[in-house]
Amino acid sequence: MDLHLDAEDLNSCVQCGLCLPACPTFRVTGDESMSPRGRIQLMREVQDGDAPLTDEVLRSFETCVQCRACEPACPSSVPYGHLMERTRETLADGGHITPGWQRVAFKPLAHPQLLQIGSAALSVAQRAGLVPKRLGLSAEIPFRQEPLTASGTDVYLFTGCVMDAWQREVHAAGQRVLEAAGFGVTPTAELAPCCGALQAHAGLADDTRGLAATMMANLAPDRPILVDSAGCGAAMKDYGHLLGTAEAEAFSARVFDIQEWLADHLDKLPQARPLDLRVAVQDPCHLRHVQRVHGATRAVLAPFVRELVELDDDGMCCGAGGAYSVLEPELAGAIRDRKLGAIDRATPDLVASANPGCSMHLGAADVETAHPMELVDRALRQV
Amino acid sequence: MAGTAWSDRLRNLTGRRAGTTPVADPLVADLQQALSADRVHDSGVHRALMKKDASVFTGGVSGPLCYPETTEEVQAIMRIAERHDRAVVPRGAGTGLAGGAIPLGAPIVIAATRMNRIVDVDLDDRVAWVEPGVVNLDLTRHLQPLGFHFAPDPSSQQVCTIGGNVANNSGGPHCLAYGVTNAHVVALEVVLPSGEALMLGGLDAEPLGYDLRGAFVGSEGTLGFTTKVAVTITPNAPAVRTLLLSFDTIRDAANTVGAIIADGIVPAALEVMDQRITEAVENYVGAGYPTDAGAVLLAEVDGLADGIAIDADRIGEIGRAHGAIDVRQAATEEERALLWKGRKTAFGAIAQIAPDYYLHDTVVPRAKLADVLDEVYAIAERHDVLVMNVFHAGDGNLHPLLVFDARIEGKLDAVHAAGSEILAASVAAGGVLSGEHGIGVEKQAYMDQMFTDDDMDHQGRLRRAFDPVCRANPGKVLPMGHSCADIAALRSVPSEVWG
Repeated sequence: MDLHLDAEDLNSCVQCGLCLPACPTFRVTGDESMSPRGRIQLMREVQDGDAPLTDEVLRSFETCVQCRACEPACPSSVPYGHLMERTRETLADGGHITPGWQRVAFKPLAHPQLLQIGSAALSVAQRAGLVPKRLGLSAEIPFRQEPLTASGTDVYLFTGCVMDAWQREVHAAGQRVLEAAGFGVTPTAELAPCCGALQAHAGLADDTRGLAATMMANLAPDRPILVDSAGCGAAMKDYGHLLGTAEAEAFSARVFDIQEWLADHLDKLPQARPLDLRVAVQDPCHLRHVQRVHGATRAVLAPFVRELVELDDDGMCCGAGGAYSVLEPELAGAIRDRKLGAIDRATPDLVASANPGCSMHLGAADVETAHPMELVDRALRQV
Repeated sequence: MAGTAWSDRLRNLTGRRAGTTPVADPLVADLQQALSADRVHDSGVHRALMKKDASVFTGGVSGPLCYPETTEEVQAIMRIAERHDRAVVPRGAGTGLAGGAIPLGAPIVIAATRMNRIVDVDLDDRVAWVEPGVVNLDLTRHLQPLGFHFAPDPSSQQVCTIGGNVANNSGGPHCLAYGVTNAHVVALEVVLPSGEALMLGGLDAEPLGYDLRGAFVGSEGTLGFTTKVAVTITPNAPAVRTLLLSFDTIRDAANTVGAIIADGIVPAALEVMDQRITEAVENYVGAGYPTDAGAVLLAEVDGLADGIAIDADRIGEIGRAHGAIDVRQAATEEERALLWKGRKTAFGAIAQIAPDYYLHDTVVPRAKLADVLDEVYAIAERHDVLVMNVFHAGDGNLHPLLVFDARIEGKLDAVHAAGSEILAASVAAGGVLSGEHGIGVEKQAYMDQMFTDDDMDHQGRLRRAFDPVCRANPGKVLPMGHSCADIAALRSVPSEVWG
């Protein structure tokens, strides 16, 4: 069947296999069908060889975390992420993947009021001990949160969906850090309810296009849009490709990861006594492999903590993968085990992670995590 | 920060949906009983993906795919194969370049990827025991904090496995000074096609008896399956210098290589890339390779700082005397790492130019390098095929890379014709067919250019001493006429691909 993949993109893979060690699912299974090279070969077999969509083919595509670590590993720059997103879109359109219950579960993301009500209910359920541990909800979901208020119009701070409902304190910390650097901040709140990343990963790209259009219409032009969730930032930087319009390109060009932005304005941040902590940097995949701005995290954090340490796993995925840890808990757990080993070897006091999914997934394995902005904020506010 | 033991749950994972269909094939049932249901894959998808490695060759559809985790399980697989009269083919990471791991005759695939433990590192004896699925670079990374590394460093080292290195007696840029895989393997635990497990070689400096370890290294899976390897570990050099020399022509670069060795210097590595491949590589890594030079020479010396400073200066002088237009030293470790990353990912970078490649692997005497290179370019031009040269110059190990689009009618034939002439030219210059990639299916047809019938009959006898019915990786290395039993082993009929 036609997966609607560009023939040149598919052909840009020469099957050399250099991507294999970068792939978390190949690393934990040793199975070619769970590697980027194997998945691309299956895309070819399906699109060009008319191979049937067996359960094993679908399983191969569904088990991809979409971490995209194979992309920087590829000397021929195969656009694997776009190939996989397109494949999933075609399969979701045909009803082969992403069953109805998943589509329903994604709906509230785009509706802040629904999400707040759902989160409050989840919060009550969590306190009553009714939320199974395997869902990986490490932190307590807040019942109510203080709203964020605008302090100026220099930059937008994208607040998004789940992160705003569950981790608003990270946005608050980021906003305070930006303000300390002299920027007036407008939190996007209901102007931009959701970036659509999770939907795009599930093959529901039309939903993402709709959300992108809303956001582009609501946000004032020419103002930088700062994002403190790596997955959201990567998705928003891809609107140009997703929508294929000059307007979307221009929008994507003014999206910055918050650390990326601050690394370019380090001189504006006040000095502070470093926190007495040994901090390991865990790079979210979409910051390191997609946005490729993970150097900025180090530049921003370094002055504010006693010691920064690297993990020795080359930025291997932690297994969170947006909704992946819920949809594929066994694989996500096996992948996380590798990460836990790397964290143990680095012996940090805590782990800095610039993505809400990673911090929740690691937190569920009792790893103490903090967003880099929370650490900088803590250093700036200590007496 | 303890993790859950996920590995048990993972066992039920990879074939979750497939596992619901009843298995009728008695071979599969036996294998699943010996291993576990989730570590024997029989779906069309899994078998179809085994058809290829990183070479241009495509095999048939394989039989069931097994993921053993212990020597005992490999023994069980061999006994089941014997009972069902099926061949076996080993597979590591599938990065072979000669078709050595592709299935012929619907063999059982024995994947090494889950035998991936570093069992023991003995710093006093300087030996590490590893399982065959350990990734080459993972071993070196494991050893680095201890001050050691595993010296053989194939360009695919980030992904290729030690088992595959043993099977192919792999080389790599730094094997010029340190020797290829064979020089770093002291003992092997192997399972023969009969199911018997043996230890070949040993940790003693001079083990008694014939060197069967030496026979096994480089046997490309035709003697049996390696289940454990004792490798020597090499102390990291106290200092390293990396030089990048640029030339107008590849002849100048090749002649510089010969002159450096003739001067008595044995660098850790001497690698040449021509202009086309340098452009592709630079495009990926941005290491500062000059894209306007006709060729570049990457030279590395390691050892005591004072000594290598002298060697580095001398290499620069020799280069200039042979036409180097620029000599530069990597100033930082980052710069050095980037230069090497470029060299080591060269083959994968070519999809920027065309979707297919056929990489050759001949070795010629260093003094003939420049002439053979001229001939290689001429052959490629005659067949209207694009050729790039990137090679282990210090060893005289050429890697002419024929780059093409297989979708163009007749192109693959032209590529094979050009390849055949390149092999003939190399052998005529006093060289050999393969430096490090192995014979596989690729160079079988050319074995008679190197060996007489008598030579090959004796090689066939050695093979049958380990594997009397040619059950291990049949149809590889030796031409058919010299390993008659292969023909029987290849007769198994594959079932439906997407079944």
